[in-house]
Order: sequence, then C-alpha cells, then structure tokens
Amino acid sequence: MTQIAQPVPPTAQPFRRNLAIEVAGLVRTFQNGQQAVRAVDGVDLQVESGSIYALLGPNGAGKTTTINILTTLIPPTSGLARVGGFDVVKEAAQVRRIIGATFQETVVDKNLSGRDTLDTHGRLYHLPKSLIKSRIAELTKLVELEEAIDRATKTYSGGMKRRLELARGLMTQPQVLFLDEPTQGLDPHNRDRIWTYIRQLKAEQGLTILLTTHYMEEAEQLADRVGIIDYGKIVKSGTPEELIGALGEDVVTIFGSGDTGRLLASLRQQPFVDWASEYSTGETPGEDSLAKPVSPSIQVGLKEQAGKSLRPIVELAEQAGFKIADLSIKRPSLNDVFLKYTGRRLRD
Amino acid sequence: MAVTVEKRLETVNNRAAAGPGKWGELAGGVYTLWRKHMKKFSRSVMEIGGTLFSPILWMLLFGLSMGGMVRGIADFTPSVNYIAYITPGLMLLTCLTAAILGGTTLLMERTSGIIKEYLIAPIPRLAVLLGTMSSSLTKALLQAIVIIVLGLLLGSGLNLNPLAFIGGMGILLIYTLGFVGIAAAAASKARGMESYHALIGVLNLPVLFLSNALYPLEKMPPVLAALAYLNPTTYAVDATRHLFYGAKIEIGLWLDIPVLLVFMGLCLWLGFRTFQKSVANPA
Repeated sequence: MTQIAQPVPPTAQPFRRNLAIEVAGLVRTFQNGQQAVRAVDGVDLQVESGSIYALLGPNGAGKTTTINILTTLIPPTSGLARVGGFDVVKEAAQVRRIIGATFQETVVDKNLSGRDTLDTHGRLYHLPKSLIKSRIAELTKLVELEEAIDRATKTYSGGMKRRLELARGLMTQPQVLFLDEPTQGLDPHNRDRIWTYIRQLKAEQGLTILLTTHYMEEAEQLADRVGIIDYGKIVKSGTPEELIGALGEDVVTIFGSGDTGRLLASLRQQPFVDWASEYSTGETPGEDSLAKPVSPSIQVGLKEQAGKSLRPIVELAEQAGFKIADLSIKRPSLNDVFLKYTGRRLRD
Repeated sequence: MAVTVEKRLETVNNRAAAGPGKWGELAGGVYTLWRKHMKKFSRSVMEIGGTLFSPILWMLLFGLSMGGMVRGIADFTPSVNYIAYITPGLMLLTCLTAAILGGTTLLMERTSGIIKEYLIAPIPRLAVLLGTMSSSLTKALLQAIVIIVLGLLLGSGLNLNPLAFIGGMGILLIYTLGFVGIAAAAASKARGMESYHALIGVLNLPVLFLSNALYPLEKMPPVLAALAYLNPTTYAVDATRHLFYGAKIEIGLWLDIPVLLVFMGLCLWLGFRTFQKSVANPA
C-alpha cells in the first residue's frame, strides 16, 4: 500500500501531544422508563498516538456507548473526552474531521455498489474527486475487494461487508479509527484478514485505533493496551503482558462438587497461592436453565510453577470434603484476567 | 508520481485547514445525500411503480369511464373535460405518495443505522434532513410530470401560458413540501416500516375523496364539503386545475396560496423539530 501522509491536523488546544484519546470521568445515563441507567459510569482511559487500545467486555458493559460518545454521535452526561486534542462536545466539528469509524451493526446500503458506498463517504467529507478515486483504488486493494467493488453490496458476504466498512472508515485518512466489534460474527478466515489489515495500518501509517471486542483472542492479538470494562467502568487496564503477568505463574482450575467456601478459605492461607476465586461454568442461572446443572469450580493463581503445589491442593480439597472431578493447569490468559476482575466469564 | 501525490495532499490539507465553510458543508452534504438517494431511486422499480401505479389506474379506469358518464351532464365539470378535471387531483396524490415513500429513505437509514455514518461526518445534521427532503421533492415532481404527460395522452390538453405552468408547478412544490415535512416527522418517530406504511393508507383515500379532486365542491353533501375545506388538497386542486388546465376556479388563488403556504410552513416546522429531537439521541 502506498504511504500517504496524514492530513495536517488543524491546530489543537495545548495538550499532551502523544495522547490521541483522553477520557476522564465519562458518564452517560439513559432514561429507561422511570429508571436512569448508567451505561457508562465513570470511564477513564488514555490511548497513546499510534497505538491500539482494546476495550474488552461483555455485551452491555458500555463499550458501544463509549464509542458513540467519542465519535460525537451522542454527548456524554458528564465527564471529559478528547480525541486528537479536541473536545468531543465543544469541538465536535474538528473531531469529526479526523476520525473514522465502523459500527457494531453492519450498515451498508444494499442497493448501492461498494464503489458508490466509498464515493458517497468521500463526498460527505468533502474530499476532492481525484483523491476519492485514488483512495478507492488503494483501499479496495487493501481489503481485497477489487473483484466485487462494482457489484451491489447485497451480493456481498458478511465478511466482505465488514471489509467494505473498514475501507469506508479509512477513506478519509483518519488519525484515529474507532472499530466497534470489528470481527463479530465473522468466520476465522475473515477474522484473520481483518486482523492483518489492522496490524498493517498501525505499522505503516501509525494509525491510532480504539476497538471494542468481546473476544479475548482479538484483544490479545491486536492490542497494545487492554481495558477491561464491566458495568460501565474500566475495572483494570494495562498491556496484555502486564495483565497476564500480574496473575502470577500458573493457574489451576478445579472442577468438582463440595464445600467450595471451605476449600477457598484454606487455599487462600497457603503461601504458594496468590489468589483464589470461585465461578460457575454455567452462565447466569435462568439464561439457559435447561442446561446441565451448574457445577462450581475454583481457580487458583499460583506464585510458582504448578508442579510442586498440585499435591497440597489435592490434599486440601480432600480435607475440605471437596470432590475433584477434573483439574487442569495452564499458563494464565486474558480470560483468567477477565475472570479475576469481573468474577464472570466472557462468552467467546 | 511522488510530486503529484504530495501536491494533491497539499491541496487536501489546505482545504482541510480552511474547510469548505459552514454553508459549503451544508450544501455539499445535501447534494451528496440527494445524489445518493436519486441513484437508489433510479434503481428501485418498487418505489417508482408504487407511486405511479394507483394514479395511473385512477386515470385509465376511473377517469375514462367516469368521463364518458359525466359528459352528458353539462355543468358537472365546467369548462374542461373530465380527464383534465381529475388530473390535478391525481397529480397531487402522486406527489403525496412520493413524499411519504421518500420518507422511508430516512426511516430506513435511521432504523438500519446508516444515518450514523452521516451524523459523525463533518456536515451539519440539518443536511441529513434536507438531503432526504430534496430527494423526495425531486422524485415527487418528476412523477407529477409523468401524470401530466399521461393526461395529455388521454386528451386533457394543457394551458399553454408558461407563467401559469410555472405557477402550477409552484403549487405542486408547496403542497409536496408540506407532506415531505409530515413524512420527515413520521420517519423520525416511527419504530418500523409497518407503522410507517400505514400512514400512506390512512392519508391516501381520504385526501382524494374528502376534496374536490374527483367532483366539484358544490355537488358534495355539506358536511363532506366542510371537511373538504379542511383538506389542503382542495386548495391545491383548485389552483392547479385553473393554472394547468384553465378550469373555472372554485375557491380563488387569493385563498388557495396562503392556505397552502401555512400548511407547508407548519408541516416543515413539525418535520424539522421531530428530526432534531430524534438525532439528538440516535442510539
């Protein structure tokens, strides 16, 4: 892909230059009947220029609302948000000129061709015709849609539509790109492709990207920093390595039945145990109440490699009257990080 | 190559720095959306057919048979033949239907989320509304012309005074803008296609029957005639019938034009207000 310089940003307010996104105390409430729901409940986050930040959280955690505020679609109830140094409320016009976005739901006009879609987008941003033409050529090549670009988008597969949307978000050479669930519902092949484009964009153009996802793997693969968001708050953030590293060495997961409370208490007293928590493998009761009975399980983060501590763990379980059905050891992953900070498991 | 790219970028950067200005952004936004909607319209057989189908049937089936019947009644349609008599009403019905169907563009873009692309673009939000309105208006007037031509083929004749023709088009424009406003309000509020489409059904026939579109006001029962005076279509029919076909005027342009202007003003205001509210909280 040819390297094209970014448009020079209009002079911004004085502010730390290396931060492309700065959010502090962001709150957004929605009126739901009589009740005010706090969809975003005091989010703080900072994204460095040229980096990829992933907001990781379950559906309804406040990811999309945060993106809607940052893309100037809706105003926050309170708090501060700046993109490229511009305030998303007071300087919305400037923010709009420097961002690109794709939305959670696929939104392309089915009766228009891919080329029409990109062309309309370029015109909405007042790009000169010659530039629109060259951008379309570059981007269709990037997202590998050369064959399909002149066909109506109703003939596209889900993955092709997603790629077209990515190209649309990039039409205007944004400084900051927002991707809301960019690979939701895609097959692994298309997911890999989108990941490749995202990495390429960061490497070649130094684009700043804020993406939301509920796929652990996506965050782990792409993000320089991950923010775990739950109930409208960022509960933990850091690089994937930091987050995982903080969990200690190995994680032991114990499935079985018995007095989990007693086992947890005795585990927590052991010197080799860093942390221990309980979770249910079944989702929240009610959601699939017809499924097999919820079996309790326990996760233990160890301070050392699991080899030496397995025996004491089994013995402790026996003493506590906990019957072990299965036991596994693994290196911790983002999944375990998520579990630790939210007490819930993300459905992948 | 490198030079041209850089040159081009320089222009882009200068443009970005200067920006097209507030009015430029508005005009550019409206034009872009108008263009997009017209492109979709030209590819949509359904929308064109759906608008023109019923007025054409009215003219062919109803107009021709009814025209034969009322020919014997000397004072039924003073000064013009029956096809010329009913063409203005059906033209206005076409405009109404086109305006409402044009509103589905906004509704569809709103419910599918396409509108988000516009709302975060550097164009005023008003441009989104004006883009839809201008494309609806264009579609309506184009189809009204089809009806005029069909009338000519069926022997309606036409008033050849160019000023009168322009005046007639002006009346069509004012009348259509009123329904464009109603359509925008409904499309900003409706939850889905079904409830919105009910609007066409509700408006269509009463607008046609509770007016002087097919018969003179003086032949209507007093209650219905009184209701017809509440229908803006009555005034638009009165004016266009006179302007396009030189028919004897029943009410008078001095009343037709102000009534239609007030109707247009109120409906557009309603459309703007409802739209503004809906985009203030699009999610």
